[in-house]
Amino acid sequence: MSCHWRSGEAPSDPAGSSEFAEPFAEKEAPLRKPMPVTLTDSAQQTPDSSPQIPTGDSTTDNSTDVAPTRKERKTRKRPEPKPPVEVQETQEEKPKVEEEPVKAPSELTVARGGWGYWGSWGKSLMSTASATVATVGQGITQAIEKAETSLGIPSSTELSAPIREEDKQGGEPSNETDKGEGDGASAMGSAMGMFSSLSSVVQSTGKTVLTGSLDALEFIGKKTMDVIAEGDPGFKKTKGLMIKTNTLSQVLREAKEREEHQTAEEVSSDTEKKAHYGMLFDEFQGLAHLEALEILSRESESKVKSVLTTLSGEELAQLKEDLKLIKEPFSLVEFDDEEVEEKKDEDGAEFLRELTEALDGLHISTTADKLGKVSKNACDQIAQMTKPIKEEERNEEEVAKTYTVENVHSSAIKSLAELTARSIEQFHKVAEMILLCTSQKVTTLEQAKILSQITIVLCKEISLLSKKFTSCLTTIGSNEKGDVLNPLITGVFLEASNSASYIQDSFQLLMPVLEVSHIQSSADSNQQ
Amino acid sequence: MEAIWLYQFRLIVIGDSTVGKSCLIRRFTEGRFVQVSDPTVGVDFFSRLVEIEPGKRIKLQIWDTAGQERFRSITRAYYRNSVGGLLLFDITNRHSFQNVHEWLEEARSHVQPHSIVFLLVGHKCDLESQRQVSQQEAEKLAGAYGMRYVETSARDAINVEKAFTELTQDIFELVKSGDINIQEGWEGVKSGFVPNVVHSSEEVTKSDRRCLC
Repeated sequence: MSCHWRSGEAPSDPAGSSEFAEPFAEKEAPLRKPMPVTLTDSAQQTPDSSPQIPTGDSTTDNSTDVAPTRKERKTRKRPEPKPPVEVQETQEEKPKVEEEPVKAPSELTVARGGWGYWGSWGKSLMSTASATVATVGQGITQAIEKAETSLGIPSSTELSAPIREEDKQGGEPSNETDKGEGDGASAMGSAMGMFSSLSSVVQSTGKTVLTGSLDALEFIGKKTMDVIAEGDPGFKKTKGLMIKTNTLSQVLREAKEREEHQTAEEVSSDTEKKAHYGMLFDEFQGLAHLEALEILSRESESKVKSVLTTLSGEELAQLKEDLKLIKEPFSLVEFDDEEVEEKKDEDGAEFLRELTEALDGLHISTTADKLGKVSKNACDQIAQMTKPIKEEERNEEEVAKTYTVENVHSSAIKSLAELTARSIEQFHKVAEMILLCTSQKVTTLEQAKILSQITIVLCKEISLLSKKFTSCLTTIGSNEKGDVLNPLITGVFLEASNSASYIQDSFQLLMPVLEVSHIQSSADSNQQ
Repeated sequence: MEAIWLYQFRLIVIGDSTVGKSCLIRRFTEGRFVQVSDPTVGVDFFSRLVEIEPGKRIKLQIWDTAGQERFRSITRAYYRNSVGGLLLFDITNRHSFQNVHEWLEEARSHVQPHSIVFLLVGHKCDLESQRQVSQQEAEKLAGAYGMRYVETSARDAINVEKAFTELTQDIFELVKSGDINIQEGWEGVKSGFVPNVVHSSEEVTKSDRRCLC
């Protein structure tokens, strides 16, 4: 349980390297720094040398792609505030980690999520990190652009070789060396705070992108991407980001405010209307719902804490056990991008059906109407935008209604912002209803599981929409130059990745709410 | 896209169920009268820009709370981050007027350590024939609590703008005089000016494009 790597991922590592794992991790550790450079080089060559992989064919590279994707998700996962016993033991000299529930999760991810091997290059990381980030960043940018230009998947043997090596170090050793390296990792984690998880993401980002799938971009976190996109060598901005951004709504608010200022500055000089995700998200009241959800979450959290202090003995043990179970679905969100098929769900009906079904299971009065509408609108827009292109030659009247790539991009960003805002609204409403009425028909644990399912459904929809929009972009922009089209495609994937992160982070906010609900309902049943 | 504003004020709208909170807000933000059939669940959000002085715009973020008693435990949590509030009662419903005191107490106890500038609103003033609360009586009560009093009608669009702009003006004066401060961790008042410290991916894509062109 201390390790999040699933043994099921092993097949993705055909070399079966587990027996080499430990020596490898030790020996290779000092070499890790230049690694990204090597990867960058091969990434640049690959699209030219191996254009044979057809677009969007996800099945062929499944074996290499699945694992990094899943790992990527792992870094986003927030384990429960209390670290597992063995980590606790090694953290004695750094008790602060446990006292700071806000910081602790990200740090613990480092210790538990399989980044244990980072500990082996320990403290020198601080100085090298910035350079590494920059290099990886450039590599990725180039890889992305190459990938976009060809829209093929640059997956080849040259690429998969270094990746497998990474797997050996990244995946397997953490299983075996967890305890040994836990010390270094957690100590470092507490010292480095968020950055260690940032660089972890960067690291696996490199992997994911290089394994080939452009879709993987969806999983790159906002903060990471800021670093990557800027190739920020000074690391100062990243640091600023770490200090500045405490809550999710703060991240979003800052994004919005930044955009507002940009817009304000550009009014005179730049007539081009650009779609601003943050501003749109706020316009759809996503920020407000998020803040309200945060309020409820914080309040519930302190309620749970105060209840725990009033209990003792068996009662306390029982409650702790119950809460542990409720927490579980929150750390098990696994969203496999591979399952998202573009062809499926042309009009968003499938999404609505899945979501409605899940929401019904919660036994609270809430509907999927608003979300369903957003997804349907988006699908309608895509259908409309792609239609005239196909019929252009035959139907002269249709020609009048052509769409530019900017139109598609705006529509994509708007749809993503709206869907995310509505998703968070949905979670907010769910939180309110769960706090209001304890249902006899369903246990809190079941509700937690359903909500994690809903999170997956929502992220899948985000992913699906971004795929639809980008393929729409490539269709409409087939005559555009790469330097016009590529940033737009990247933009859509980026915001989709952000959207998925925001949705998952909001889902996490529901945990204390469910805990309170559980305490309420068990108090109710005791009284009867 | 209208984006430039000096401050953002968060306002909360409270009062008994069915006094017309959502209708008033939607008249103000959407400019139309909507016959809202479903009672508000928890809280809903609306926003609008108001120009209080030429060139000086303020963004109002309005939290429309559920009036129903059963939501009280939740809506309570939302008071703290508001700088101002509209306390509504229905002039044709005496009971809703009698509850004004209770609402104020509720708000004041949950807004600590901050304070809220309230405006008392006698709503549905188009229904003069059914009036149960006189204007003097309401003004007296408002005065006792140091509030302004405005009578409004969402259906006939009477005083809706006035209610919101007067409240906004009052808060603005308090912000200018320094009686209300922008505070870290409090969402009541936010400044529109934020130094551009963090760089977004969008900026980068843009500058990239420029370089390549």
